[in-house]
Amino acid sequence: MLERVVGLVVVVAAAIYLSLAVALPYGTTARPGPGFFPTLVGIFGCVVGLTMSAQAFRAPRRAPAPESGRDAAARTRAVSTVAVLVAFCLLLPWIGYPLVAFAFVTVLLQRLGSAWRMAAVIGAVTAVVSFYVFGVLLDVPLPRGPW
Amino acid sequence: MGPLEGLAYGFTVALTPTNLLACFVGVLVGTIVGVLPGIGPVGAMALLLPSTFSLHPATALIMLAGIYYGAMYGGSTTSILVNVPGEAGSIVTLMDGYQLTRKGRAGAALCVAAVGSFIAGTVGVIGIMLAAAWLADLAIKFGPPEYFAIALGGLLLLSRLSGGSVVHSFVMVAIGLALGTVGMDTVSALRRFTFGSVALSQGVDLVPVIMGLYGVAEVLLLAEQGITKARVISVRLKELLPTRDEWRRSWAPIGRGSVVGFITGLIPGPAAVLSTFIAYNIEKKVSRTPERFGHGAIEGVAAPESANNAATAGAMVPLLSLGIPFSPATAILLGALVIHGLQPGPLMIVQRPEVFWGFVASMYIGNLILLILNLPLVGLFVSVLRLPQHVLATLVLLLCLVGAFSLSNSHLDLWILVVFGVFGYALRKLRVDASPLVVALVLGPMMEKTLRQSLFIAQGSVVDLVTRPLTLGILLVPVLALVVPPVLRLRRRPRAATAPVA
Repeated sequence: MLERVVGLVVVVAAAIYLSLAVALPYGTTARPGPGFFPTLVGIFGCVVGLTMSAQAFRAPRRAPAPESGRDAAARTRAVSTVAVLVAFCLLLPWIGYPLVAFAFVTVLLQRLGSAWRMAAVIGAVTAVVSFYVFGVLLDVPLPRGPW
Repeated sequence: MGPLEGLAYGFTVALTPTNLLACFVGVLVGTIVGVLPGIGPVGAMALLLPSTFSLHPATALIMLAGIYYGAMYGGSTTSILVNVPGEAGSIVTLMDGYQLTRKGRAGAALCVAAVGSFIAGTVGVIGIMLAAAWLADLAIKFGPPEYFAIALGGLLLLSRLSGGSVVHSFVMVAIGLALGTVGMDTVSALRRFTFGSVALSQGVDLVPVIMGLYGVAEVLLLAEQGITKARVISVRLKELLPTRDEWRRSWAPIGRGSVVGFITGLIPGPAAVLSTFIAYNIEKKVSRTPERFGHGAIEGVAAPESANNAATAGAMVPLLSLGIPFSPATAILLGALVIHGLQPGPLMIVQRPEVFWGFVASMYIGNLILLILNLPLVGLFVSVLRLPQHVLATLVLLLCLVGAFSLSNSHLDLWILVVFGVFGYALRKLRVDASPLVVALVLGPMMEKTLRQSLFIAQGSVVDLVTRPLTLGILLVPVLALVVPPVLRLRRRPRAATAPVA
């Protein structure tokens, strides 16, 4: 089932890409323009997407394996990690690196199984050390936030 | 410069304090990421790439390559002691390595793995010297059509060899090529697929993509497991020496593994991983007692551990002599050189001998350091495994975020990192190899440039292009590799179908 969905997504994405590529100047075969190679890539993408879909629709449908409680807990941990990553990217320009790094490490450690207090201590130490090493010693212009 | 003269010059470069330190840091980091399951050499190289921007290109190359081959040493330690592969190149080692540990011969297995890796690493460096110089002489004659053919052929071979279905690999190639076309067109300065974003007109940077696919994705898999701790067996120094019989059994597999590994390394594909499987199967075939394999045969550790080290050396040959990377690891090395305005290839060996020969000499030194590091200090490295995994996962993620941001101080790179991290995690779950995507992203812009130049030279005639003798020869190899196996399978199938009836 998944294979079929992915196959169709590939076809749609390749078709959109191809339509954008065709709009670029193609040039001639002797003097290929900026649209020449993308057009070839788009056609290639459509062909492999269609092949993948065709194979998936011809193959017998398999029932998805039943999910166990352990899988669900594992997935929750993975999803919360991604959520914390996204939050890092969203908040970095607004509240600055030191605070975001502290929150990132603390929340993630707690979500993955540490006690709150332990997580907060590691978070504070990591935020200070990493800001000093990267922001001060290595001159990375990490956002400092509004304060 | 002849090979010996070049090597002597190389040692004067590699033995300067800065480069010696770079080599030491590289192989040390390599060993640690090799020991730690879940974090591989490619992710670590991508993480450290930004920190090499201020270094001399030779120093950068020495350090980053040290991580790559150092990881092959470290990986075996975890396989043998914990029954978990430290990285993908040590999966095969686990079969006999852990059995040896259960028999109380862990020390012998570690020692044979380290000595085998050392011999293979040295053989590999000699191979680089000879093969790269020879190939570079040949490559001087190559024009754009040949380079296009090599890149195209390499991608086809990689898709065939990277395991799993060829269609899945081709989807990865298509995504990589499409991403490679994002940004400003170098000929017409036209912005393509940027949707008005200024940051995107620079193109999609390789480093956050690799950090996502190989760093963040691996950490997400670690995070899934929550709090886990590896059970570690301690090894005393006294137990490290193999018996005379164990040595006698190991020499031939080490030799064969070195040669097989180096040759596998030359071919586009996941060389380090592939070479271990090939070397293990060869040993099983030539052994007079194949039934011992899987129950603690020392040959089953010696051969694959030698092969993966020689393969990392072999993989350097296409990069150094042609400037074409066929694996994510060598793609990062290319990135490190290009940042400094260096284009690896036949001309670099002549014009920047300090980079090429300094690097080759550093591999001799690096292998020696690794042998010294890994034998007496094995206990120290194993204690890294006692670090709680979820703390490690969190810190690596933070490093990835800061590293991606520091590349060009852009928030776009952060988003690319996260998107490709999630994508890479999904690929692991679906058992699809991401390396065709990475290689296609690197080779795509080169393929476009050489294809446009080639067509211009041939005045639009595709036939003229393909019938150049060198191009034809280069393209024939991957075409045969793609066409022959399915045809053989088709011919075999009718017989297989009738067999159960008869």
